Amino acid sequence: MTGRLWPRGLRARLLVAVVLVTVLGAAAAAWSSARSARNALVTSTQQRLTAAVAGQIGAITPQLTYPPDQGALDRLRAAVGVHTLVTYRGLRSADGTGVEPVTGALRSAVRARNRLVTQRITAQGRPWLLIGTPIVITAPDGARTPSGIEVYTARDLSGVERQVDGLARSAAGTAALALPLAALLALLAARSVLRPVRELRDTARRLAAGDLGARSPPQGADELAELTVTVNEMADSLQASMAAMRKMQADAKRFAADASHELRTPLSTLAAVVDVLAAAADGMEPDARESSQLAISETHRLVRLVEDLMEVSRFDAGTARLRVDEVDVAGALRDCLRARGWLDRVELEAPDGLLLRLDRRRLDVIVANLVGNALRHGEPPVRVHVSASGDQVRIQVTDGGPGVPEHVLPHVFDRFFKADAARTRTPGSGLGLAIVLENVHLHGGDITAGNADGGGARFTVRLPRDVEDR
Amino acid sequence: MKRIWPVLAVLLLTACGIQPSGVTGGGEAPTGVTRGVTLYFIDAHGDLTPRLRRTDHLGTIPEAMELLLWGPGESSLRTEIAPVTPKRVVVTSTAGVILLRVPFTAQDVTPLGIDQIVCTALAVHVQGGGPRGMKVRIGFTQDTPESGKQRTCPLIK
Repeated sequence: MTGRLWPRGLRARLLVAVVLVTVLGAAAAAWSSARSARNALVTSTQQRLTAAVAGQIGAITPQLTYPPDQGALDRLRAAVGVHTLVTYRGLRSADGTGVEPVTGALRSAVRARNRLVTQRITAQGRPWLLIGTPIVITAPDGARTPSGIEVYTARDLSGVERQVDGLARSAAGTAALALPLAALLALLAARSVLRPVRELRDTARRLAAGDLGARSPPQGADELAELTVTVNEMADSLQASMAAMRKMQADAKRFAADASHELRTPLSTLAAVVDVLAAAADGMEPDARESSQLAISETHRLVRLVEDLMEVSRFDAGTARLRVDEVDVAGALRDCLRARGWLDRVELEAPDGLLLRLDRRRLDVIVANLVGNALRHGEPPVRVHVSASGDQVRIQVTDGGPGVPEHVLPHVFDRFFKADAARTRTPGSGLGLAIVLENVHLHGGDITAGNADGGGARFTVRLPRDVEDR
Repeated sequence: MKRIWPVLAVLLLTACGIQPSGVTGGGEAPTGVTRGVTLYFIDAHGDLTPRLRRTDHLGTIPEAMELLLWGPGESSLRTEIAPVTPKRVVVTSTAGVILLRVPFTAQDVTPLGIDQIVCTALAVHVQGGGPRGMKVRIGFTQDTPESGKQRTCPLIK
């Protein structure tokens, strides 16, 4: 069978196989029984017909004149019945019924064997039994010699053939009866096999969808039950290791949140002290001034890092909330740039009067981080382009620098990821893009990192026009 | 798989219908024609001897009996059955035994005469296709032990 004709489903395959086997078996049984019944029927019919013909001949021969004349031959033929030929030397008595009750083989067998012989032939589209016999002369002592009289007669076997056909038909009918039964059994067998398989599939689907508590109860003690048990064990160990991992993750996050929280109070004191130090720095020796300036900048960086860490912790803890306002995007972006003194270094292209419902502070964080990165790592010109289409707004930040290397692109939003391993002491916290990503996601939008055609890095933020309060 | 279907179809077809056959044996040929009846008489030496009476057909045992009771006619043979009228013999056949009811008593025949009757009846029976192991019982008009005897012909074994 070709693969196309062979059905794919397990149920269909089982059905076809069982029905095929059953029908073949039933057909073979029906065939062999019909065949043996036919043989028995034909044999008994032949014996009966032969005995009848011999009896008819034997009943008239004692009254038959010998050597016979034409009249005697005619009487003999009439006694045997229709389709009969009687010959004696040159004499011949036949009825004109059209069926020639003798073949060459039959005639020579009659003469050679000097016994009654039979042969089946098909004539006029019907089966016939030809019976040919010599009539012998028996001496009182039992010696048998040919008399020269030969009798040939044909007997119609159509009736037997009809009986045989009836047998074959009833056998075929019985075989056909097995068909729906076989189909039913196949369906039942398929169901008993397929139900556990389907349950197992559903369980695997739920596992794949993240429901690690999904199990299927094993039924019976067959291979499918073993498989079910194995799948359940696999799900158990998966669930256990996932739980352990989650716990570790939660521990780590809580530690980061706690640490940054604990650091904030001493750091604010330190920042206040450093501000005092900054005011006094101008009057210091050059060496001391340089050291104190380093201390000032590093302290500010530490403060920013702790603030970023706390922000990330809020996202991780799920406590970050959107505060949605009607915001004029162009104005908000301009304010953002102006507040950081970047207005003259950044080209802003934004349509006026574009009102969006979003969290103004978070939009500020997003744009400030992206533009800050572009100014720090890229080359001018840094461009912020805002466009609105359909139900979303696109904010693109591009620079004229060398762009982001291909192998770095997938990791730019990872926490503490540094593109250049050697340049570890950058002013950034390493959390900026991670925070941007979280903020964009909080708005229900997305962000992609790529490179512009000219070679510069390009970050594209897509925000939905209508942000739900969440 | 593809080769199975034609074979299967042929096998199924041969199960139906009656196929022609070659010539097969069907048993003994019928018999019963003859040029005449064999009657048994006694020759000059006192021996039982068969004599063919040309009748052109075998006929029945009562017919042969009637011919036997008519005697040998003009010949060198004689019969040891006393002349009797009418010459009718009633024949009853049972399994293995032919019963002849003759129209005379046991005193009317000699043992050779009884052999004549038994052999003539058995000859007709054998020539008509019957088995040679057949016994013959003669029922006389008077009930004697002779009537109960089952006899065979010394010439037909």
